[in-house]
Amino acid sequence: MTAAAIWVLLTIISELFFLQMDIFGDAASKQGEFIDEAFILLMVLAIPIFTLVVTLLGYVVFKFRAKDGDLEDAAPVRTHKKWVGFWLAWTTILCLVVIVHPGYTGLIELRHTNDQEPDLTVNVTGRRWQWIYEYEGRDVSLFSKDDMLVLPNDSLIRFIITAEDQDVVHSFWIPAFRMKIDAVPGLTTSMDVSTTEIGHFNDDVNFRVQCAELCGMDHSLMFTRIEVVEPAEFEQWIADEAA
Amino acid sequence: MSQHVPQYVNHRFSSLDINRLGLWLFLVSDASFFIALLSSRFFVVGTSTPEHVDQVLGLGLTILLLLSSLSAFKAEAAFEHGDIAGAKRMLLATIGMGILFVFGVGYEWHEAFKHFPPSTAFGTVLFTLTGVHVTHVLTGVLTLGFVFFRIRNTTEIGDNQFAVEGAVKWWHFVDVAWVFIYPTLYLLK
Amino acid sequence: MASLMPLGPLLRGVIYAAIGFAIGGGISLGITSMTGEPATEPMVVLGYVFAVIGWLMGVGMWKSWGRGWFGKPTDSDPTGNWSRYFRFNTDHKVIGIQYIVALAVVFLLAGVLAMLIRTELADAGQNILTKNGYNTTMSLHGIMMVAVAVAIMMGGFSNYVLPLIIGAEDVAFPRINALSFWVVPPVVVLLLLSPLFGGFDTGWTAYPPLATQTPMGGLLFELAFLTFGISSILGGMNLIATIITQRAPGMTWGRLPIFAWSVLAASVIALTATQWIAYGLLMIIFERIFNMVFFSPPGGNALLYEHVFWFYSHPAVYIMILPAFGAELEVISHFARKPIFAYRWVVWAFALIVTLSFLVWAHHLFTSGMGESLHGPFMILTELISIPTGIVFLSALGTLWRSKLRLKVPLMFALGMVFNFSIGGLTGIFLADVATDIALQDTYFVVAHFHYTIMGGEIFGAFAAGYYWYPKITGRMYSEKLGRIHFGLMFIMYNITFLAMFIPGTVGMNRRVAEYPPEFEFMNLVTSIAAFGLALSFLPWIYNMLNSWIRGPKAPDNPWDAKTLEWQTTSPPPLENFDEFPIVTGDPYGYGDDDVVHAVFGKRSPSGPGHHVAPAEGD
Ligand code: HEA
Ligand code: HEA
Ligand code: CUA
Ligand SMILES: [Cu+2]
Repeated sequence: MTAAAIWVLLTIISELFFLQMDIFGDAASKQGEFIDEAFILLMVLAIPIFTLVVTLLGYVVFKFRAKDGDLEDAAPVRTHKKWVGFWLAWTTILCLVVIVHPGYTGLIELRHTNDQEPDLTVNVTGRRWQWIYEYEGRDVSLFSKDDMLVLPNDSLIRFIITAEDQDVVHSFWIPAFRMKIDAVPGLTTSMDVSTTEIGHFNDDVNFRVQCAELCGMDHSLMFTRIEVVEPAEFEQWIADEAA
Repeated sequence: MSQHVPQYVNHRFSSLDINRLGLWLFLVSDASFFIALLSSRFFVVGTSTPEHVDQVLGLGLTILLLLSSLSAFKAEAAFEHGDIAGAKRMLLATIGMGILFVFGVGYEWHEAFKHFPPSTAFGTVLFTLTGVHVTHVLTGVLTLGFVFFRIRNTTEIGDNQFAVEGAVKWWHFVDVAWVFIYPTLYLLK
Repeated sequence: MASLMPLGPLLRGVIYAAIGFAIGGGISLGITSMTGEPATEPMVVLGYVFAVIGWLMGVGMWKSWGRGWFGKPTDSDPTGNWSRYFRFNTDHKVIGIQYIVALAVVFLLAGVLAMLIRTELADAGQNILTKNGYNTTMSLHGIMMVAVAVAIMMGGFSNYVLPLIIGAEDVAFPRINALSFWVVPPVVVLLLLSPLFGGFDTGWTAYPPLATQTPMGGLLFELAFLTFGISSILGGMNLIATIITQRAPGMTWGRLPIFAWSVLAASVIALTATQWIAYGLLMIIFERIFNMVFFSPPGGNALLYEHVFWFYSHPAVYIMILPAFGAELEVISHFARKPIFAYRWVVWAFALIVTLSFLVWAHHLFTSGMGESLHGPFMILTELISIPTGIVFLSALGTLWRSKLRLKVPLMFALGMVFNFSIGGLTGIFLADVATDIALQDTYFVVAHFHYTIMGGEIFGAFAAGYYWYPKITGRMYSEKLGRIHFGLMFIMYNITFLAMFIPGTVGMNRRVAEYPPEFEFMNLVTSIAAFGLALSFLPWIYNMLNSWIRGPKAPDNPWDAKTLEWQTTSPPPLENFDEFPIVTGDPYGYGDDDVVHAVFGKRSPSGPGHHVAPAEGD
C-alpha cells in the first residue's frame, strides 16, 4: 500500500515536472510537430514505468533489509502465476499501444505527402565537407559553404538527396524540422518537409542543415545555415539569385 | 581434443561425443558465414549472371567435388571397418580431387581476370565467393593430408577415430557449401 | 635475467611474431612486386596473419598443443607460479583471470580516452585535440569499450565461474579456450598502434566507403576487430559445448543456475552472429587490398555493409547484456535470501530475446535510405523485445520483494544496474519508434541511451559480478568500506554524466563532433565535470582490488553463504575445481526451503578415469 502511494505520488510529480518543461522549443515543420508530440507521449508513458522501478528499489532497500546478524532466509516464494500474468499483460498491452501510436501513425504521418506534388523541390548533393543545392526548375544553385539555404514557409518541400560517386555517406539533417535522411553515394533518397514557421539560423541554431553521419575530418563543420521566409519573400529571393 | 579426461562429469558424453558436438557447433557458425557471403551476391549484382561465366567449368568442378565427397565417405567407412589400407587409398583419392579442384578454380580465375576483374561488381562477387570457398577447400585438403599422415603406420582404429571422422565431416561441409555456391554463382539468370 | 624467466613465453611470442611478420610480409611483397608495384597494405595483412600464428606458437600453443598433432608429447600447465598467467595455459580459472585483468586494463585505457573526449567537448570550440585526433580518439574509445563489453562477461567471468557453477572440472575444450584468450593481445596491440599509422576516423561502426579510404590505421582497426570476432566465436562454441556436456551429475536443465542459462543464450549469438561482422570487415579489407567493389559505387552498394554490420552488432549488444542479467539475478537471489522469482519465465525470456535479437537489426537504419517498407516490421519487432526484457525486471523486483536483503557491495551494483538499465531500456523505445528516431538518430540521445545500457547495465553488472566473485577468485576479501565508496561515487557521478547527455541530444547536438554550436555548451560542461568525478570513482576500486589481493584478509570458502556450486569448494578452487565431486540433487536457490539441497558431495574416485558415478535422482 505505502509503496503504491509513493509510486503514484512520484509519478504525478515527475509527470508534472516533465510537462511544464519546454525541452525543445517549437518544431518548424508539420512532421516535426508530430515527432515532438510522439516524444512527449512516449515520455509520459515511460515515466510511470521508471518511477515504478525506482519506488520498488527504494522501498525494498528500506523495508526488507535484514538486520545485522540476522541470518534467516526469506520465505521461499518461487513464482506467482497471477503476478506474472498481470505483468505480461500490461507490458504487452503497452507495447501494442506504442506500436500503433505513435509507431504506426507516425509512419503514416511521415509518408502521407509522398504522392503529393511538392511546392518546391531541392536537389541536394553531399560532398566532403559541404552540401550543394539546386532549386529544381528555378535556375538557382548554391555551391558555397557560406550560402544561406532559403526556404519558403507554409510549403511542402521535397529534398532529393544523394552524395557524389567517389564520396562517402553523409546524412542530411535539419534539426528545426526534426527530419533527417542519409546521403549515400550511388543511391537517391528523399525527404518531405511541410514548413510551418519562419526562422533564421542567427536566432535558432536548429535552422541549419547538419551532416549527421560521420564523414571524416570536417564532419562537424558540414552544415548550411537556413532561413525560412514567407513565400512571397522567397520568390523575390529566387528572382534576385537567378538574375 | 579435450585436455584432461573428466573423471566424474556427466558420463552420458564421451570425449568423442564432445568433439562431435564441438565440430557441429563450428559448422553452424561457419554456415552463417556462408549465408552472409551468399547474400552479398544478391545485394551487389542482383540475380544477373554475365555470359562469360564458364558454365562447363562450373559444372565440372561441382561434379568433381561431389565425387570427392563420395570417396571421403568411403574412406571413413573403410576406416571404421578397420580397413586402414582402403581408408588411405580413399583419402588419397579425395586429396587428389581436392587439389584438382583448386587448380580448376585457378584456371577459372585466370579466365575471370580477362572478363570481370575484381574491380567490377560481378568480379567482386565471383572472386570472393570462390576465394573464400577455395580457402576452405585448402584447409580441408590439409586436414585430410594430416589425417593421412597420422594413420599411415597404424593398423587399427585406436584414438584416430575422431581425426578421420572430423576431417571427413569437414570435407562434406565444404562440399555442401559449394553446392549452394554453384547455383548462386552460375545458374541464376 | 633469471627473474625474467617466467616471462619467457611472452618474449618468445613476440620474437616468433616478428619472424612471422617478416615471412608473411615477405611473401606478400614478393607477390605484389611480381604483379606490379609492391604494396604495403597486403603486406601488412599477410604479415599480420603470420605474426599472430607466430605469437600463438611462441606463447606456448606449440609446446602444449601443436606438438600433439604430430604425436609428440606436450607440456602440461605449470602450476603454483605466477608465471602461469603469462603463457598459454588451459586452466579455465587462469584464463578467466587473464581475461578479467587484461580487460580491466583496456577499460581504464579506454576510460582515459573518454576523459580526452570530455575535455575536448567541455567547450564548443576546438581545444586539445585536432579534428582527426578527436575522431580517432572517439573511435578508439568506442571499439575498445565494445571489446571490453563483449568479452568481460563472456570471456572473463563466464570462463572463471561457469565450469564451477555447473560442477565441471573445466570447459569442454580447454586448449581452444586458451587460444581464444591469446588472440586478444594482438587485438589490443593493433588498436593501440593504429594512431601511429594515421588513426581511423570512422567510429566503431566503420561504415564504408569512408572506411575503405582511411589511412593504414583503419586497416589495423579492421584486422583487430576481425581477430576479436574469431576469439568470440571460439569462446561461444566452447561455452555451449561446456554447458551441454560438462554439467555435474544431476544438474538437469531445470536446476541450471540462471547465470549458466544467460551465458548459453549469449553464446548462441556469439557463435552465429559474429560471423557476419567477420564477413563485413573482410569485405572492407578486400576492397582495400584487391580494389573490389562491394560498397563503393559504381557497382557496390553502401547499404550492404550497414545491414551486415548491424546483423552482428545488434545481437552483440545482447551478448553484452544477457550474461550481465544472469549475474544480476544470481547476486540478487543470494543476497536477498530468496529463490529467483519466476525462474522458468526468465529462461523463456532469454530464449525469446535471443530469437528477436536476430530480427531487429535494421532499427539502426531508419534514416539510412533503406526501403521504407522495412520500417514498420523492424519497429514492431524491436518494441516487442521490451516484453521479455520486462520479465527480467519482474524477476529482479519479484525476488527482492519480501526478501531479507543483505546490502553488500555486489548487491548495490546489481540494484544500480536495475535502475540504470530501466533508463537505458526505456530510451531504447524512443529510438525504436521510427518517427522519434528520425529526429534522434545520430544525436547524443543515442549516445546517452547506449551508455545507459552498456555502462549502466552491463558494466554495473560486471562490477557486481566482480565484487561477488572476488573472494572466490583471489581467495581474499575486498574492503567493504572502499567498495561502498566506489559504488556511491560511481552511481551518482555516472547518472549525472549521462542524464545530462540526453539533453543536448534532444535539442539538436549530433554525435561524433569535436566542435558544436555554443548553445549546447552548458550541458556539455556539466557532463564533462561529472565525467571527471566518474573517473575519480575508479581510484578506490583500483586500490581496493590490488591492495586486497595482496594484503586482504583470507576469504572463507563461502563468505556469502550462497548455495551455488562455485561456493562449495575452496577459495580459490584447486586445479580441477572440486576435491569432492558434486552430485546435484536440487535447484540452487533453495533459500528458506530446507527441503531443497542443491548438491551432495562424494569422494573423488581413486581409480581414476572411467569410474562412473551413479546418476542422481531426477536426472
Ligand atoms: C547492452 C547494450 C544495449 C541494449 C541492451 C540495448 C537495448 C535496446 N536498444 Fe539499444 N543501442 C545500443 C546498445 C544497447 N541497446 C548501442 C551500443 C547503440 C548504438 C550503436 C551506435 O550507433 O554506435 C544502440 C542504439 C539503438 C538504436 C538505434 C538508434 C539510432 O542510431 O538511431 C535503437 C533503435 O531502435 C535501439 C533500441 C533499443 C531497444 C528497444 C532496446 C531494448 O532491448 C530495451 C528493452 C528494455 C526495456 C524497454 C526496459 C525494461 C522493460 C520494462 C520495464 C517492461 C515495460 C516496458 C515497455 C512495455 C516499453 N538502440
Ligand atoms: C563499455 C562501453 C562504454 C563505456 C564504459 C564508456 C564510458 C564512457 N564514455 Fe563512451 N562510448 C562507447 C562505449 C562506452 N563508453 C561507445 C561504443 C561509443 C561510440 C563510439 C562511436 O561513436 O563510434 C562511445 C562514445 C562516447 C562519446 C561520444 C563521442 C562522440 O560521439 O563524439 C562520449 C562523449 O562524451 C563518451 C563518453 C564516455 C565517458 C565519459 C565514459 C566514462 O564512463 C568513462 C569512465 C572513466 C574511466 C573508466 C577512467 C578511469 C581512469 C582512471 C581512474 C585513471 C587510471 C588510469 C590508469 C591506471 C591507466 N563515450
Ligand atoms: Cu558529412 Cu558528416
Ligand atoms: Cu540495436
